[in-house]
Amino acid sequence: MPTISINRDLLFNALGKSYSEEEFDELCFKFGIELDEVTSDKLIILKEQGTERSVGASEEIIYKIDIPANRYDLLCLEGLVQGLQVFLGETRFPPFKLLPSQTVPQKLIVKSSTSSIRPYAVAAVLRNMHFDQNTFNSFIDLQDKLHQNLCRKRSLVAIGTHDLDTIQGPFYYEALSPDSIKFQPLNQTKEFTASQLMDLYATDSHLRHYLPIIKESPVYPVIKDSNGVVLSMPPIINGEHSKITLNTKNVFIECTATDVTKASIVLDTLVCMFSRYCQNQFTVEMCEIETPKGGIKNYPILKTRQEKIDVNKINRMVGINEQADKVADLLTRMCLTATVAENGCLSVTIPPTRHDIIHACDVYEDVAIAFGYNNIAKTLPSTNTIASQFPLNKLSDQLREQLAQAGFTEALTFSLCSKEDISDKLRKPLSSIPAVHVSNPKTLEFQVARSTLLPGLLKTIAANRKLPLPLKFFEVSDVVLKDNERDVGARNCRKLCIVYYNKSPGFELVHGLLDRLMQLLEIPLDPTGTTGYSLKSCDDATFFPGRCAHVVFAGVTVGVLGVLHPEVVTSFDLNLPCSALELNIEPFL
Amino acid sequence: MAIAHGEKLLKYLEENGTANSLKLSELWNEEHQKIVGTVKSLLCLGDVIEAELQSNVKWDLTEEGKQVATHGSHEAQVYNAIPPSGSTQPEIMAQASILNAGFTKDIAKVGFSKAMSLGWIAVDKSSGAPKVVRKIDSIQDLVQEHLKEIASGKNMLTNELRTEYKKRKLIQEIVVKSYEMKPGSSFSTSVTKQETDLTPEMIASGSWKTKEFKPYNLNALGTPVPRGHLHPLMKVRAEFRQIFLEMGFTEMPTNNYVESSFWNFDALFQPQQHPARDAHDTFFLADPATASNIPSDYMERVKNVHSYGGYGSQGYGYDWKVEEAQKNLLRTHTTAVSARMLYALAQGGFKPAKYFSIDRVFRNETLDATHLAEFHQIEGVIADYGLTLGNLIGVLYEFFRKLGIDKLRFKPAYNPYTEPSMEIFSYHPGLKKWVEIGNSGIFRPEMLLPMGLPEDVSVLAWGLSLERPTMIKYGYDNIRDLVGPKVNLQMVADNPLCRLDKHRGTEIKEPDYLQELEIRMDSIMTRLRKIENEVSKLRKQCKGSPEKLTLVIEADPNYPPLSVQTLIRILMASRNPISVTIHQHSSLKTACSSDLMQWTKSTISNVSRVDSLFNLTWIWKPVGPHPTAKVVNQCSGDICGETAVARLLARLLESWTDCVFYENYDINTTAEIDDWLDMWESCIQSGDSTFLVLIKRINNRLNSCDGRKWLPGVLPGTKSLADIFLSTLLGHKLNSDRAKEWLSRCNSF
Repeated sequence: MPTISINRDLLFNALGKSYSEEEFDELCFKFGIELDEVTSDKLIILKEQGTERSVGASEEIIYKIDIPANRYDLLCLEGLVQGLQVFLGETRFPPFKLLPSQTVPQKLIVKSSTSSIRPYAVAAVLRNMHFDQNTFNSFIDLQDKLHQNLCRKRSLVAIGTHDLDTIQGPFYYEALSPDSIKFQPLNQTKEFTASQLMDLYATDSHLRHYLPIIKESPVYPVIKDSNGVVLSMPPIINGEHSKITLNTKNVFIECTATDVTKASIVLDTLVCMFSRYCQNQFTVEMCEIETPKGGIKNYPILKTRQEKIDVNKINRMVGINEQADKVADLLTRMCLTATVAENGCLSVTIPPTRHDIIHACDVYEDVAIAFGYNNIAKTLPSTNTIASQFPLNKLSDQLREQLAQAGFTEALTFSLCSKEDISDKLRKPLSSIPAVHVSNPKTLEFQVARSTLLPGLLKTIAANRKLPLPLKFFEVSDVVLKDNERDVGARNCRKLCIVYYNKSPGFELVHGLLDRLMQLLEIPLDPTGTTGYSLKSCDDATFFPGRCAHVVFAGVTVGVLGVLHPEVVTSFDLNLPCSALELNIEPFL
Repeated sequence: MAIAHGEKLLKYLEENGTANSLKLSELWNEEHQKIVGTVKSLLCLGDVIEAELQSNVKWDLTEEGKQVATHGSHEAQVYNAIPPSGSTQPEIMAQASILNAGFTKDIAKVGFSKAMSLGWIAVDKSSGAPKVVRKIDSIQDLVQEHLKEIASGKNMLTNELRTEYKKRKLIQEIVVKSYEMKPGSSFSTSVTKQETDLTPEMIASGSWKTKEFKPYNLNALGTPVPRGHLHPLMKVRAEFRQIFLEMGFTEMPTNNYVESSFWNFDALFQPQQHPARDAHDTFFLADPATASNIPSDYMERVKNVHSYGGYGSQGYGYDWKVEEAQKNLLRTHTTAVSARMLYALAQGGFKPAKYFSIDRVFRNETLDATHLAEFHQIEGVIADYGLTLGNLIGVLYEFFRKLGIDKLRFKPAYNPYTEPSMEIFSYHPGLKKWVEIGNSGIFRPEMLLPMGLPEDVSVLAWGLSLERPTMIKYGYDNIRDLVGPKVNLQMVADNPLCRLDKHRGTEIKEPDYLQELEIRMDSIMTRLRKIENEVSKLRKQCKGSPEKLTLVIEADPNYPPLSVQTLIRILMASRNPISVTIHQHSSLKTACSSDLMQWTKSTISNVSRVDSLFNLTWIWKPVGPHPTAKVVNQCSGDICGETAVARLLARLLESWTDCVFYENYDINTTAEIDDWLDMWESCIQSGDSTFLVLIKRINNRLNSCDGRKWLPGVLPGTKSLADIFLSTLLGHKLNSDRAKEWLSRCNSF
């Protein structure tokens, strides 16, 4: 969920109204955003860098507000204020107008060389802008927020904004080898080649994160004007030459992308939020994009969609009973201007700022929000169903109860562990274990899904060595094993594991508990091993030689019990004898 | 032995009525420790005797003191070693050693200087080489006499002498513990040994009939019972499971941790570029890396709804890739299982269903005190024709009511697979705020329709973590104390039953009418605040805003300046942006009581230091009876004394509020108020008797016939600083009716 930082006084000024913190919090709650933190530059610096650095920093109050991830239109002061004012019924949502150029339209020619790296580009022009310091900052901040969220850290879309009066169209978007790109990047005093820039920015705390997007490519994307001036090298950096300033009047916006839908959304959002500062408010000048195949497309799309929505359906979905005109009012307050149409329908206008509205259900939600979630009458569904338990869980719970009654204490350990835990520490080669391997573990503890419950219980003993002996623990839980029969190639297996840790091994005790479990499951002892259960001496590297047996049920091995091998004991930082039983309980269902 | 002595002791008690162990030890010439042993064994017999432990302080000679008692004080030894004619120092040393073999240089050193200062000896340098001579003819060695007295058990020294001898390490204090005894309620002179417990032999022989049994100590705890335990998290899980079953929900088979991206994300209409699908957030698998056997026609429909829309949707408009869907992962939510269940439900001919699950899910997140890489998700799903958002809200109320939570609030939220989506908040009476407890929503048509579910079927769903309510329920701060191998199993053993609908501790339910009143009060306060906002805006316009001010007050917890505290409370109650913090200085010997640390609590203003215009830092520090105040960032010195600080605060109060009670009326009134405060000041300096005069004056003033309400003469309508000050400090000493009326007037603000 993106968080935006907004200067409180600027916000209240723009809203034309002051709120107490509680009131504003309440308003946010109703609107579906969240006042996350109230702070100031000074407090932030104080917290992060200490008292000394904070001297002289601004003490103006900053509101940090959480915005839902699909509401790109609320990511800046302008959009937030507009959204809230419309929500409060104080203004109406403005119509956006797409104007053709008064002379020759600005043209961006996309070369086919970009197809291997970043094949799409879109562009728009904002004419006769008036920036002041606050709006300028907000313009920059919004690009940053979009880059972080919708643009997926510039991997999907990268935005470049330029002072149109410093450059000369048409513009060319192409991909060139890194050494043949040379320009003076933003905030640098001399020219660099693209390869040099990669080195320069390798240590830049901000830009280095974007380098991998193109670094390994043989060609880098670049946008130039008709005089060869480099506007930008997306998605890394713009050129110094065309940078926008407080005095910029005409802004050329280009977005390059690997996802053209997202690029268009980003462009729409930017121009909708800032066209209010154009002399001719809420208007945007169209640009032509020439595709490698020679076709021309106009951007921004700035599409306003009309949807017919059935009022009855809205009422039914939300669980309210409102007249069409009231519902239309509710929607209008959510920036979805609506009018009553024929046949009990509403005609709903979906503006280019609301790309999150992709289905009628999104409209239903906005009705519910404007109506107030907490004003909806609670009702119970009439759905009548008979409950049942998952049989394996029921059996597990019954056995857990019995194990606790037998004086064992339940442990709850992690499903993920290190490779070592299930192999070396148990004296078994990893290759012999059908374990599921994680490809991107952040630490050693998450390398594999456990194939046995034993390591977790042994770690639990190690962490509880201070408790009086004997230590008697159990766990009934799932392990994960590879299984080609399943669609995902792996399955869970419900295991029961018992450990007994004392000055003597206590094999007979664990054995006795197995007998008790079998008694509870009504499975007779059957040394022939065909119908009941039996123990068959076996060799298992985890256990002490000659002190280990397989539990055989109906001819199949379902578990193992024995005295742990001393090397297993010591590898888990233990020093006393330990007996264990691990049993697959699924056959007993 | 002990018993033999015991009988002797009992006999002594019978004859004498009382006994003291020390005296007995002298009397019987027996070691005191042995007598004590006897007493203790007699005590074990029950109420045969009563004994009280006494500690007596006794003075005894040190080793050095014993020397002095035998050979005389150091100075006397030196004196005695000097022949009448005088002698040199080494000769004296030699002579002294003859008189006392234990004589040392150290003794000599002390002896010489002591004898010199007593004027017993002198150094004569008249004949060249320095010679020590007797200055007086005879001496009385008082030290030796005193020590002999002490050794003989007499104790007649003055405190000064005792201190001096103690300093000279001649005597030491010894604590002697002894028992003072008298016969107990079942006193008898014959002692029988009591049996500790019944034995099989006693039962066989019948000897239990004649034996006496030692009584049990019923105040001690019993022996811990060996037992097994279920894990607390699993106990809470059982409770949630029970609730779902009571509500008619069927448990889903969630025993598949490994899931394909398709079921975990794509089936839920979660786009392939969604941040949750990043390796930062999700555990992907290296082996088995991919899934197969995704139902192909269903997969085609999912692909289309993502890429192009359909089912009334615009879709996401991107290039959906099957490779991305096939990537295996550890499921990030149990909703993946819900998706499989709903798909199966659609295939078999839809019937209304209610499902639940409680099982593990995995997130490749940064770990901290409340987040682990794996946790348990609780999920509920209802699928039926024509379900509404109102239904979801209704079900959630019922569900949480069974957990003992009945105050809920819903916040609009975003979730890729539900629309509408609602975050569930509950009011936490302990924290006194709304906390998020779960997420809920109605599954999107883009998720349900490709599965083949009928168009008019809606599916309600909600989810929450199992760990969070467990941590809140049992008061854990760190999740690692609850889950994982590092859990202390003693915690598991001590863990109580899980009864979620039962409130404990701070969560005591308040009656509803109180809540209603609170809500009403809140709304009135909100309205008031609005009005106040307006007023203060207006005031700002005509007055200019007051300057930001920081004041540090230091006061002694032994002399709390009550009047200053009252003024600060009034200041805080004035609803100006004031922030007060209270500290204790490290030089305080004992920590302040919580009352002292929190005396502002009743009027807490909830203003952060950034917002406030007046920051007060209150420091408890051993400064004595005169508190000090200092205005930070001003060159002025400290303001010292309770009256001075009170005056400062009164001025502040006047400049910040509309009340008039010190300088804002007229100069005569101000002078009169000053006079009252000065009287108090002089009382402080001259002591108790003058207080009576002041009290008398207050009484006179209040009883005067002009029916005045306040101490100063003219100030109309309101109390003055003098009233607040003196009523706070002297109120408890006044008892006339008029004075009581005055006090209650002063206390109301």
